[in-house]
Amino acid sequence: MLVTNQQDLHITGTLIWYYFICHREVWLMARNLVPDQDNPNVDLGRFIQEQTYPREKKEISLGHIKLDIVHKGKDGLVIGEVKKSSKFEASARMQLAYYLAELEKAGLTAKGELRFPKEKRRETVELTDELRAKLDAAVRDILRIVYLDGPPPPVRVRWCKNCAYAEFCWS
Amino acid sequence: MKKIVYIFSDGELKRQDNTLKFYCEETNRYLPVEDISDIFVFGEVNINKKLLELLSQKEIVMHYFNYHGYYMGTFYPREHYNSGYMTLKQAQFYLEHDRRMGIAGAIVRGALKNIRQVLKYYANRGKDLDASLQKLKEFEEQIDGCADISELMAVEGNARECYYRAFDKIIENEDFVFEQRTRRPPRNHLNSLISFGNSVMYTLVLSEIYKTHLDPRIGFLHATNFRRFSLNLDIAELFKPILVDRVIFSLLAKKMVTKQDFESGMEGIVIKDRAKKLFVEELDNKLKTTIKHRDIGREVSYRRLIRLELYKLEKHLMGEKEYEPFVARW
Repeated sequence: MLVTNQQDLHITGTLIWYYFICHREVWLMARNLVPDQDNPNVDLGRFIQEQTYPREKKEISLGHIKLDIVHKGKDGLVIGEVKKSSKFEASARMQLAYYLAELEKAGLTAKGELRFPKEKRRETVELTDELRAKLDAAVRDILRIVYLDGPPPPVRVRWCKNCAYAEFCWS
Repeated sequence: MKKIVYIFSDGELKRQDNTLKFYCEETNRYLPVEDISDIFVFGEVNINKKLLELLSQKEIVMHYFNYHGYYMGTFYPREHYNSGYMTLKQAQFYLEHDRRMGIAGAIVRGALKNIRQVLKYYANRGKDLDASLQKLKEFEEQIDGCADISELMAVEGNARECYYRAFDKIIENEDFVFEQRTRRPPRNHLNSLISFGNSVMYTLVLSEIYKTHLDPRIGFLHATNFRRFSLNLDIAELFKPILVDRVIFSLLAKKMVTKQDFESGMEGIVIKDRAKKLFVEELDNKLKTTIKHRDIGREVSYRRLIRLELYKLEKHLMGEKEYEPFVARW
């Protein structure tokens, strides 16, 4: 999740995604303390990622970021992020924006597309100055969280109900 | 939750396309692979590498028991929950004497509390167990005075001996008297039931450890010696009384298991398959029973309680929340 070889510290898209849902998850994920993989939602998410869009290139690794879908559209590169549902759309938007920003740093311009196969819906994401600023702040705060000695205490939010960490957090 | 598959027949377990199939004399049947978390093998089962590959891919743990019902080994697929952070924490707590004692003491305290809970149940039903309960309370009070692990183990051992002696008053069946704890080989029927039940419990806990970031080789009460799993022995201490012993009492009280279910062999008293099956079924039913967990806000099974115990231990190692062992309230 987070490579901490001092000189080589990267933040992944997954951490951005978690940051906008639960800060505790960011701390745990940064230590590779992944949630219960038997959780039906985790399972379903994995299944959707594997089984949808069979005709497209998937799981492309670019440095420390991993893109679900990459394809060449009429007006340039499009990168896609596949999600189980649009419940966490705001979070997913930031994750995709982070990928776009990272590509931009590498000199690549691309468009982003959020995909919700179960809902047969796509949303485009474009990098704006506002998003860039928001990402910058997020990255800095993620680093702050990751370097905390212990995880931020659990806070009950509406996501807890279906979260694969719930049993860990509340036991 | 995914199922545990128990195989008692002799035969061959094979990968068939992308699922499992068990071939044996009586019946060939498919075992839907996505729905399985563990396989317990009691019969003579042939396997091949292709099968192990599939089990590895699907993260299924396979435990083997020999003819006498002893635990032989486990196919523990490569770890899929890896966290260097947690491994280091676990090792650190093991190496620092006071911290190790903290966890080991909590486990023994929890085990003795659960033991007393079992005895209290029968005391409330008119069994004369007051003396045992009193003595167990005294053992519990000795825990804090223990200076090292061996003293703690001694207290735990004495308490357990006292507890097992109380079995005669609960079971009241002259075919199943306790006498004294004997293992490898167990010298009487009751001892062989206890041994068998405990082996199954140890492997169940091992399966749950596989699904956490903890390393089963680093125990706190039971010494780590790098050849053998020990954390599962620790956590099993808490659950043996409330799961294994209660199943034994119920099987004997209902006369589901009798003297005829045993034979004596070179390896002591051996339980026949019928009784092993009955035991495993009863235990499995218990594990599936769910209760509403107040803090989590979901239904959790007894089996899940084992996992929660490991989660609590992880949080203790992370310095987040002090470990409080699970104590049954019923």
